[in-house]
Formats: sequence, C-alpha cells, structure tokens
Amino acid sequence: MVNEVTCVAIASRICFALVMSRHVKKSPSLCTDRPLDNADICNKLSLLRQLLASCFGPTGRLKQVHNSIGGCVVTTSTSSVLLPAISSAQPFVNLIKSSILNHVSRFSDCGLFAATLCLALVERAKQSGLGGNVAIGLNKHLLGLCVSYLQREDCGCKVKLDFGSSQHLVTLARSIISSKPACVLTEQETLHISKLASQAFLLTLPCANPGTVTLGRTVTASVEGHSVLASAVFPGLLLDVTGALCPHKAESLNSSPMCVVLFSASLAGDLPELGDGIVEVPSGVDTDSQILDQLLELGKQAVKDEVKLFVCQKVIHPVIQQYLRSQGIIVIERLGVTLMEPLIQLTGAQPVATLHSTLPAKAYGKVRDLSIRQFGSKTMLHLHPPGESAICTMVLCHRNETMLSELKVVCQKTENVLRLTLREPSALLGGGCTETHLAAYVRHKSMNEVTETAAVLGCSQSEYLLGVEGFCHSLESVAKALEHNGGNSFIDLTHAHHWTLRADVMSGCMEDMTGLCGCGLVEGSPSRKWTCLNSKYTEFSPASPSRDSPVQPRVLDSFTAKLNALQVAVETANLALDVRYIIQDVN
Amino acid sequence: MLGSTVINHRQHVGLQELSALAGVTHSFLGPDKTYKFIQDDASGESALVRSCFRLFENLELTCAVGQLVHETIQAHQRVYGTGSGCLLFLAGAWSRAAVECLQRGISVPHVVAAMSEAIEVCEDVCRICSISIEGLGATQSEEGGAATPHGSGLQLSKKSVPRASRASCHKTLNISGQRKIKLSRHFYEAEAKTQPDQPEPPNITYLADALSHGCVDAMNLAVEANRLQSKDNQDVGCSTFDVTKVLTCVVPGLPEERSCVLPGCVVLLSVEQASVALRLREQPVNVALINGDLSHAFRHLGFKRPAGIQQVSDRSALLGSSPEEEWLVKVVALLLNLEVKLILVSGLASEKVIQRCCGHRILVVEKAKASVLKAFADATGGVPVTYATQLTKHCVGTGAKVATWRELHESATAVNISARGNGGLVTVVLTSCVRSKLQALEDQFWACAHRLHRALKDRAVLPGAGATEMLCVRRLQKRAGHRSETSGAPTEAEGAVNPYRGEVFRLMADGLIDYVSTVMFNTGRFSKVKARTALRQQLQECNGHVGTAAKFSQVFSEGENEDGAFVSEAKPAGAPAMKVYDNLSVKQEAWRKALDLVLLVLQTDAEVVTGVEQKTAAEENLMLL
Repeated sequence: MVNEVTCVAIASRICFALVMSRHVKKSPSLCTDRPLDNADICNKLSLLRQLLASCFGPTGRLKQVHNSIGGCVVTTSTSSVLLPAISSAQPFVNLIKSSILNHVSRFSDCGLFAATLCLALVERAKQSGLGGNVAIGLNKHLLGLCVSYLQREDCGCKVKLDFGSSQHLVTLARSIISSKPACVLTEQETLHISKLASQAFLLTLPCANPGTVTLGRTVTASVEGHSVLASAVFPGLLLDVTGALCPHKAESLNSSPMCVVLFSASLAGDLPELGDGIVEVPSGVDTDSQILDQLLELGKQAVKDEVKLFVCQKVIHPVIQQYLRSQGIIVIERLGVTLMEPLIQLTGAQPVATLHSTLPAKAYGKVRDLSIRQFGSKTMLHLHPPGESAICTMVLCHRNETMLSELKVVCQKTENVLRLTLREPSALLGGGCTETHLAAYVRHKSMNEVTETAAVLGCSQSEYLLGVEGFCHSLESVAKALEHNGGNSFIDLTHAHHWTLRADVMSGCMEDMTGLCGCGLVEGSPSRKWTCLNSKYTEFSPASPSRDSPVQPRVLDSFTAKLNALQVAVETANLALDVRYIIQDVN
Repeated sequence: MLGSTVINHRQHVGLQELSALAGVTHSFLGPDKTYKFIQDDASGESALVRSCFRLFENLELTCAVGQLVHETIQAHQRVYGTGSGCLLFLAGAWSRAAVECLQRGISVPHVVAAMSEAIEVCEDVCRICSISIEGLGATQSEEGGAATPHGSGLQLSKKSVPRASRASCHKTLNISGQRKIKLSRHFYEAEAKTQPDQPEPPNITYLADALSHGCVDAMNLAVEANRLQSKDNQDVGCSTFDVTKVLTCVVPGLPEERSCVLPGCVVLLSVEQASVALRLREQPVNVALINGDLSHAFRHLGFKRPAGIQQVSDRSALLGSSPEEEWLVKVVALLLNLEVKLILVSGLASEKVIQRCCGHRILVVEKAKASVLKAFADATGGVPVTYATQLTKHCVGTGAKVATWRELHESATAVNISARGNGGLVTVVLTSCVRSKLQALEDQFWACAHRLHRALKDRAVLPGAGATEMLCVRRLQKRAGHRSETSGAPTEAEGAVNPYRGEVFRLMADGLIDYVSTVMFNTGRFSKVKARTALRQQLQECNGHVGTAAKFSQVFSEGENEDGAFVSEAKPAGAPAMKVYDNLSVKQEAWRKALDLVLLVLQTDAEVVTGVEQKTAAEENLMLL
C-alpha cells in the first residue's frame, strides 16, 4: 500500500461515549487480558492514529469538535485543543492521550509528532510479533542511540541557532504557524505573524539587567473581524476598555508617571466569603450601605494619594466608579486574573487583597504614559511601563472567531517554543527530514553492532533486526504522515532527507526531483539518488549537509520540544506494550 | 481501503451540507424576494421569514457545518446588517466548485491556494471598479436620467487623482491613487465644475435609490432618518449616517403608508403612563438615566448576594415597613427633590415603581437602548447611574421633552421623548395592518439603513445588478486562460505556479455567474437557462475585445452598459432603467467570509462529537473511540 495515512471521511463521525452511571446491582470488574491482542482496542488505537496523523503538518486536515447537543463548533488541527475533547471509555486510549497532553502542556509543540510516533511504535511492535519485553528493551536502546546522537555537536539534523539575526527565529516561528491550516493564512499573513511572534519574543527579554534575569511575557489580545495584517505587537500592556466610560481624548492623560492602584479583591460591595457560617444582622442595619461606606473610604484614600489609574481584577461598585471618575481617575474593572500578573510586573504595584485596612504606600505602582488605541470595534488603553519592562502585548486580528481562536493557540505555542531556544539554542530540521535522517542513522549504527547489542539485550540477532526495522519504520511513517494528498515520500541516499512527489506527477520519475527536500536545505540534482521511503535500502551513514553552505533551512522544529516528544512517544509506547491486564470497574 | 477513502473524499459530505444549506436561501437573493414559512411540527408554531439570517435564527441546526454557517452569518449580520444572503449563496456555490475540484482529482492544498488567489483577484476588481460617492449622481439631470453608458456621472473629486497621472488615466487604470476609481470620458467635462478642495457632498437621494435594491419605501424612510439626523448635527451634506442612533418603533394596525420618521425617541406606553406624558408635554423636564433595572431587588452585575445572613429583629421592628417600601419612599423622595419628571431605564422597572411614579407624575420609560441613554446624556448633561439612590443634582439632565405623538388604540399610545437637539436620535415608526409582516418590514428598513450607512462610511460603492460579479468573472476567466506550462515540481517551491489555477478560477467564476443568474431568475422574467445564456453571451461579446490594458477601462464602461441592460430587462417595460449600486465593504467581506467557510469545511475530514451515548452512536453510524 502506497499511502498509509488515509483521510477519515467526514461522514464517519467519530464520537466518544460517556459511560452513564446507573443504579443497578454492582457488576464484577472487567478484566482484559493482553489488551493489545484485543481487536476492539486495536481498532480504537488505529482510529486514534488516523485521527491525529491526519492533522499533522501544513496540509493536515482539520477536525470539527462539537458536542452532540449542538453548541459551538471548534475547527482545529492542534493537539492541545483536539485531545482534551477526546474522552474514551477505553483506558488504553486515555493513557496515551494524557501522556501526550502532559508533554504538550510543558513544551507546547510536537504533540501530534509524539502521538503519531507512539501509536506507530505500538502498532509495529504488535505486527512484528516480538515479545513484549524484547520490543521494550530494543525501543529503549534505540531511543538512547537517537538521544545521544541528537545531543552530539556534529548531529546532522541539528542547526545551531544564530541569535545574531532574526532569520532563524522567524523560520522557527513560521514553521509552527504554517503547520496549522485552520488559521487560514496567506503566505504574506503567515510571514507577518511569524515576524510579530519573533518580535514579541525579543521584547520579553530584559536587556542589560544585572542580577537575576526574569523573563517578561506576551499578553495576547484578540480582535475579531479585522484583517490579519492589522495585527501588531506593542511594548507595554493594552487593556480592553471597550464600552467602559473612559476619557475619550488623550488630553486628560498627562505623560508624567502616574500612580496606579490594583485590587485583587472584589469591590462589588458584597460581603466577603462567609464560608458556611451565618451572620446575624439586627434588622434596620443595612449591610450593603455599610460595606459601601467602607469602599468609599478606600476611594477617598486613593484620591488623597493622587492615584490616577484605579484597576480591579473583579467588579467595582457603580457608586465607587462614579465617585472616582468624578475625581478625574481612570477606572478599569473586571481585569481578569490572567492580566493581573503582567500588570503587576509592568507597574510594580502590589495587588490589594483586603478592604479592611488603609492602602499601604508600597502597594502603589506607576505607569509612565497612557494612550487610547482603536482596533476595529475595540478600544484599548495602552499602558507604558515606567522604566524598562519586558511586558508586551500582541494584538491578533482575524476575520472570524474560528480562525482567530486557532491563531491565538498557535501564537501562544510559538511564544513558548521560542522561549525554549533560550534553554538550548538549537533547532531540528523540519519537513520530515529529522525523522528520515534519524532513521537512517539508527539503521547504520545498529547494523554495525548487531552481535554485541543483541547479546547485551538478551535477544537473537533476527529479533534485534526486526526491532530496529520496526523502530525506524515508525520514525519514517511520521515523516510520511506529513503528506495527505496521495503524494509519495522519498529519501535521498546521501543526507537521508525527506522528499515528496505530488500524486499527479508520474511516480518513479525520481530524476525529476529538482526542488528542495522537506526542510529546504538540500537541493535536488540529477546526480542524487533516491529511494521510496517504504522500500528497503542498504544502510549508509547519512552525511551532514555542508555547514558553510549559504542555504538556510526553510522549516525548523523546536529542538527541546521534539527531543522530549521523542522520549515521551517511546516511553509511552513501551508502557502500552508492557500492559498485561486492564481491570475496569464498570460500576 | 485506499480506494474507498478517495471516493469518500471526493464526495466531501461537509461541502455538500454547506451547499444544501445555501440552497434554502436562493429565493432571498436580489430585489425580488419571496417569503418562506417555517413550521415547527412539534409545537405547531410557525414563522414568516424573508432573509437569510432570520431563517437561520429560526432553524435549529445541530450539525457542525450548520453551526459554523449560523455563527458566520450572525457575526456578519451584527457588523454589516446586510449581505448575509450573498455570503451564504456564494459559500454554497463555491463549495460546489470545491467538490468539483476534488472530483477532478485536484488536491486540497491546490484548491485552497487557487481559491485564495481567486478571491484576491475579485477583491482587486472591487478596488478597481469602486466608484467614489463624491459628486455621484450630480450630472444625472443633465443626461436626462436615462441609463446612458456613463450615466452615473463618474467624475472624480480632484483630490483622488494626482495631476501628473491624469493625462493618461482615462485610458489606463489609475495606479497611483490610493483607491483606484473607475474612470470615464466625462472626467474632463466634470473637471471644470468640481471644486478642487471641497469634496462634493454625495447626492443622497440618487445614492439611496441606487442602493434600495427594490425596497423603495424602506429606503425612503432611511433617507428621511438620515436627513433628520443630519439636520440635528448640522451636517448639511448628510454625509454620515449613524445607525446606532436610529430606533424603530413597530406599530401594528395602521396601514403601511403611515410609516414615518420622527426626531427623538418614540415609545409605546400604557394608558396610565400616557396620561402622565400628557401632563408633561411641551415643557422642559429633568431626566434621570438609569443603567440597569429600576427595582429594589436589583444589584449590579457581579454582585454576589450573601448567603448566610439572618435578620435578627426585636419586636419594635415589626411595626416598620418592608425594606422595599422603605426603598421606594426614599427613591421617590429623591426624585421629587431633584424634580425629575422622566426616567429612562435601560433594563426593566418594577410594577410598583412605575405605579408610584405615575402617582407623582413621573414618567418611567423602560428598555432604553444604550445609544438612547448616551444620546440623552450628551444632550441633557445627565450622567447614567446604576442605582436610583445614586442620583444627585449633578447626574440629572435638564431640558428633556415629552410629547404625545399619537393615540393608537385603547391600550397603547405612542409618546415621543426628546432632548435639546436630540443628539442625532431619530425613530422610524413602522406600521402595517398585517402583524406578521412587521418583522420583515423592520428587517428591510435596517438593511436599507445599513446599506446607506456603509456607502457613506466607505465613501465608495460598487456597480450593482451583477456588474461587479461579471467583471470578476471576466477577470477570473482571463487569468484562467494564462495556463502556465511548468510541469509539476516535486516540492512546491515558493513562487511555483499552481497547475490547477485555471480550472479552479473557472469554477469560482461559475459560482459568481450562478449568483447573478439566480438574482435574474428571482425577478421572474428569466428562466435559469435563459439567464445563464444571456450572461454567457455577454461575456463572449466582451471577450472579443478584451486584450490590451489600454482597452480595459473601456471594457468597464461597456460592462456597465450591459449591466444597465440587465436591469432594464428586469424592469417592467417602459420604466426607465435605473442605476444600481452595491456596498463595497459589505460585498468584499461577504465574499471573504463565504470563502473562509468553504476553506475551513474543505480542509476538514472528520467531526469529533463529544457526549454521545453508545446507542445513538450505533444508530448514526458513528465510530466510537
């Protein structure tokens, strides 16, 4: 079969049943022996693989996630959105799901890579007929080979990031952003957003601050119904004040540093949490007005201390708002918990959590400047930091909500990935080239040590070769999963990079491959030799592309995220292979 | 396995659903719309609809594509107020184009790339053939109002064309200007007349007529509303139209001819309240603006009611009155003290408050829109407050007026409340003897109001009656003709030409032809086939002399001529043909959104449904994970 990765037709709606609780006599626990021999479980794993692998890469297919009663529809191909929607009655599926989600929550990227590889490994191990223990031991060994190769200085699929120019950062960002087609971006728009993401990343790096360095952060604000090209990054913080009574003109916003107070406690005028206790109030005592009086005291103090910007995470009582505004103070309520931390970092204010004491002087923060910015229907108040600050705001615009929400997820992911480069300033070649290169390396390396390693691992040489083949094939199948349109995947026999040929081009005319490989580093030429990715080839030591070449890779993946994803995939697969019984309490 | 997948893939169910949904709204296109009845078999309830967004509002769609369509239409309607029919039709037509592409074996990324390119071509055509509204229609009388080729008097304000480029720009396109504007030979004649520095005010009547799209009565109301608003704002040229300050008041039981536009805010009041209004008439009164409900129990949003509070009372407290009564007394005393005679409440007012206020001859008006509160705040100097107890002298506005407009019947009186200058507030009173028609009349009015508002905001319009669509068709077909001979490269190098561009462009163009022919079909004067033949013929005639860029502007005017011909054919014989315009931004946005829908659905290959029970899953042939 040429094309393993097939598309699930939309007609075949996939759903996840919730097990309903029933009031019946307790039934005995259900025990499944050797779950991987169970046809139902295997079908479900294969379905999960198709579902996730079909999302993979820039031409991946989207999934519409919704519930059975209607409600909003999410269109996505991102694992961090898709996986939480999947809840299966089958613990085996949930095991893999939670393992991948855990990786994604820490590293943001390469979730689909990890899932596809893990499920391919499980499937291959089962097909090969190797005993569970042998397969597990082999996978562990081969993972070790991969990891130590990837960490070597001279690793052929690794690129040292050059922070001297923005090119590598933009390429890395672009590879992530262009891999999510649900954002529906044109080339130009993709580049614009990639540049913004890189710019935002650079703005969050504090410059020349001696002592401990604290990274800043990017706050994302989204505006629906505007062109993507209207998206922008600003240093400082932009708060949505649409509809709020805000000074219309900038004249009331003078430019000398202004005093800011920030409340994390609600100023709505309700009683603080009472717990389970009961408060007895004599009739005739109006608790509401008493609390209001107390709030007004706080307001008066703020006026006395010349506060110019009064912000509350939660609701502010309308009477207080009216009072503060009449005193020329800008009032912002319902800031939300996510914006609290950036605002604290920006202003240096300490959030006030209680209403029962006077405001301490050290609670006040400062902003240098305020201005009003308009984005479509949204009005934003732009807060400039008093000194150097690593807070910036990324305003993302897109034509509709569906595409905007995917864009938001992707941009946050990009921010995290760019941050990971600070930990390890490297990137891996994208476009499937790392996978094919790694597979070729593992083949070559393990062929040279068959006898010794087989003995160490306690398996026969043929078992060893079978295991290596399964592992390499799984890696290659991930590269192949990038192609969703019936095209064929090839590997060149010098650098072991990944190449694809469109389905409508006569297959077998490998001489016609004049373009570039998946990552764009190697150029096709008549002297190059190729072979089909699923065909057997004589192992060879894959060469590193020349380091002095002026050609820069066009697709880069996060080194840290992919390395971890590789480990998660193999270890999860090993865990799955190691499961002997599933015991389910069906009550 | 591979085979079956491909077959399934080629009959993309999602795209078919999209096309089927769009099919429902064909009769809502163009000036000649027909009503549709929606009936709920379970409850026996029915609704009469005449527009795409009302239809979807009344349908309960549970399928994912249906939801997506509904969300898109709502979002569009919220901002543009018109054009959702066009959006959905094209989403359907282009989803059929996408299905056709898949059936021809064109891969999804190629379809996506070519379709995105095609929409850019269309947007470019819109930019080029947009017509500045400045001075539009000014020369109409000189040309006798007939649909002459350049009858619309397409002069340009001098500002938009730099002097240097002018000599050549009647032949070629104006490349240097920010917005490219359609040009005609009349440009030179008009030149002497136009004032160089002052943009000529648009001829609203002419513009509105051209934008009415068959809803003449509704558009007349919109024009009148604009006139009144502009008078208020001392805007002589009526050059802006703030629809947020336009209100509608629906009055059943009067013939449709009684619909009218009044300055201020017209509300229907009960007899009791109307008598209060009667006493307040013709004198300036103080007004309080309440942002919320006017009742004892009301608390601002975000206020949590305490749970564990127990009132402890001694006996003497029993003699006192209830807290509500106390509040009422306090509020009324405050209102009387501040001499408030009119209260505008954005939410609801409790029955007790209304009655008590009536007793003190204070008029309470509920459900005031945010824009009304704001306009009254601006005009009277009042400050909206959340609680009546917050009111102070400083918050109370002065100089509001109350006037009885008309007693409608025993139970309702229409009262006009206004403030000095009104702040641009106008009310359109819509009347009809047929109650179920009122909704459609209201929708029609709003569509017209939004069209006028957009045209004035864009400062430009597009040639209507299918002309823009046909220009796009021509451009797409022309571009499709340039087949690139490059054979497929193994990897898509940047800038590599999409080998299927031509095919996709042609199919997209067919979708637009489909749109225009459906509009023609809806007039009742064309059969589908005849409409298509007429369009194809016209295209062929034009293609005869499309060749050089120099002739391009000429082709535009030719196009206009023929489009005039569509309209004149569609009009009853003898009636003078009239110019039809469409909105620039609305059309561009509707097209873009239609394509976005198609692209999202096209690239989707599976639905993930959560919360399905095992039993239904088996029935619906779902795969369980």
